Amino acid sequence: MNNRNIPPWWTLDNAAKIFPSTGSAHDSKVFRFACELREPVDPQLLQSALDKTVDRFPMYRSVMKRGWFWYYLEDSPLPAQVHREELPPCYPIYPSVRRSLLFRVLYYRRRISLEVYHALTDGTGALNFLCALVYEYLLLRCPDAFSQPVPPLPYDASQSQRQADSFQKYYEKPAGRPMGRFPVAYQIRRERLPRNHLAILEGQMPLEQVLACARARGVTLTELMTAVFLRAIHGGMRVRDRKKPVVITIPVNLRSYFPSESARNFFATINVGYDFSTGEDSLEAVLKEVKRSFQDNLTAEKMRERMNALCALEHSVPLRLVPLPLKDIVLRIANKVAARGVTASFSNIGKVSMPKGMEELIHLFSVFACAGMLQACACSFGGVYVVSFASPFRVCETERIFFRELARLGIRVALTTNLPPEMEVH
Amino acid sequence: MLYCEKCGVYLSGSMNRCPLCQEKVAGQPEEDAYLPLPGTARPYGLTVRLAALLTVAALTVCAAVNYCFPEGGWWFLFVAAGLASVWLLTGIAFWKRRNPMKAIAWLLAAVPALVLAWDWRTGFIGWSINFVLPCFIPCMQLAAAGAARVLRLRPADYLFCLGICILAGFLPLIPLFCGALWMIYPSVVCAGISAISLSALLLFRGSALKAEIIRRGHL
Repeated sequence: MNNRNIPPWWTLDNAAKIFPSTGSAHDSKVFRFACELREPVDPQLLQSALDKTVDRFPMYRSVMKRGWFWYYLEDSPLPAQVHREELPPCYPIYPSVRRSLLFRVLYYRRRISLEVYHALTDGTGALNFLCALVYEYLLLRCPDAFSQPVPPLPYDASQSQRQADSFQKYYEKPAGRPMGRFPVAYQIRRERLPRNHLAILEGQMPLEQVLACARARGVTLTELMTAVFLRAIHGGMRVRDRKKPVVITIPVNLRSYFPSESARNFFATINVGYDFSTGEDSLEAVLKEVKRSFQDNLTAEKMRERMNALCALEHSVPLRLVPLPLKDIVLRIANKVAARGVTASFSNIGKVSMPKGMEELIHLFSVFACAGMLQACACSFGGVYVVSFASPFRVCETERIFFRELARLGIRVALTTNLPPEMEVH
Repeated sequence: MLYCEKCGVYLSGSMNRCPLCQEKVAGQPEEDAYLPLPGTARPYGLTVRLAALLTVAALTVCAAVNYCFPEGGWWFLFVAAGLASVWLLTGIAFWKRRNPMKAIAWLLAAVPALVLAWDWRTGFIGWSINFVLPCFIPCMQLAAAGAARVLRLRPADYLFCLGICILAGFLPLIPLFCGALWMIYPSVVCAGISAISLSALLLFRGSALKAEIIRRGHL
């Protein structure tokens, strides 16, 4: 039997299982990585680079399908094509009227953007794909610019390593109660942008300045940004809402705790909160609490517990036997209940690396995601640290306080946005 | 590069005002890194709204006429049910317009349900189970097989839908064996066609069908 008749297919990993059931028009579960080059993008070369890159990541040639009990990924003959950016950022990929691959590659002026449906992979996996794409593109664009032999890509995992479901590999049946409860957190309620659009505000900062600012306070970059974010949200709260804690959910890359080269999802989340009704609202006080939270939560043991708790639900036999339409309803309700414990989200991807010689051709990398709530993502490349806010709200109150605070701390912030020049969003 | 004195931040792009505080900014505009948010209208929005307005208008006129001349009974309810049926079937066809196999599967569920409901509400003469369903189901089988052939679909993309259409072809046997039919030939022909189709499916696409069932049924 040939491949056309029985195509390869993959079960969804633990984290991916919830995305198809809980996605919606305003929470598309799509995230975007962008790479800004020094020169305008050549679409033909980008298409050639994409063809080469997809061959290395066969799971990217898959579509989402509904089973009777779970969704799954199935290999598809649909071609991966680059498109000039025309849709709003993080436009829904699944479900859609037309069956499509679960990612799209876009170009706009000097930017190459990769938008990925979260069920396919997480930030680390998508970043590896984008780096491979940019690598192939630059090899085609500037064939004489690199020394021979051509520098290899840092990410060189085998196909089986890329396709591995690391949740399954490291799952151990937990002994105690699987999930903890979170208090109800403050919810940002503001007028939303029309048609589920996302306002992007991207702040570019010199990495050295941000690092110096964090080191001067004895904290990490993520801790500093989380504390500033918490205070920014607090600054936009109504007085009557201030009795509720502000909680930021932070994805943690489990590859840092469990050896894995998987190009699929392999992350857990931790919640970092601050109750401004009982604590001081100074940056130092918030930083102290955030640092303590990070130290308490970011241990191998805690991460193992968290991962096992998440996987335990998937391994429950009664739950597995529930038909998919019913699972959709249950997961949607569970997701709404869990969302009540979270105010916003912050994801720090960390440092992006490209082979030597290619760094000079790239200006920056940036990342943001659509999660149905205010979402901030950060990454650094070369000497540039980029924090991007993706907001469904018409008013940029939190972002204003956040970036003003960074400027007040002595950091040179350069903003760029997708809001129209006259700020008229109808 | 632009600069907002109020916020103390630089701005890269062609904006006239600071996106944070909406104050006017000073400096040299640059190329925008992002595509500005579009402001286009939704496609089909106007058509759907016009169709909805026409439906409401037709229904209102019928209700008014029926209220003024009630001698023939509340016939405007049938008009309402008819319009609802048209909306349902058109909606399914439009919703699944990019995936004909899914459209066929949904229509296979919706049309028999509507036909049975209409037959039941109009005195249950039995025209639905005697004629319409035994004729409609083989048509859907043919449509599924034709769409798979014309669109050159892979077995994985049509087997499930085709399998459902074929299995649905055995449903007319229920009223047949219960003795509820006064015209048995369409139902017998329908079941016969389905039996031959099922045999062909198992003989020629048995492995692919088994793989499809394993994929869809994985736990």
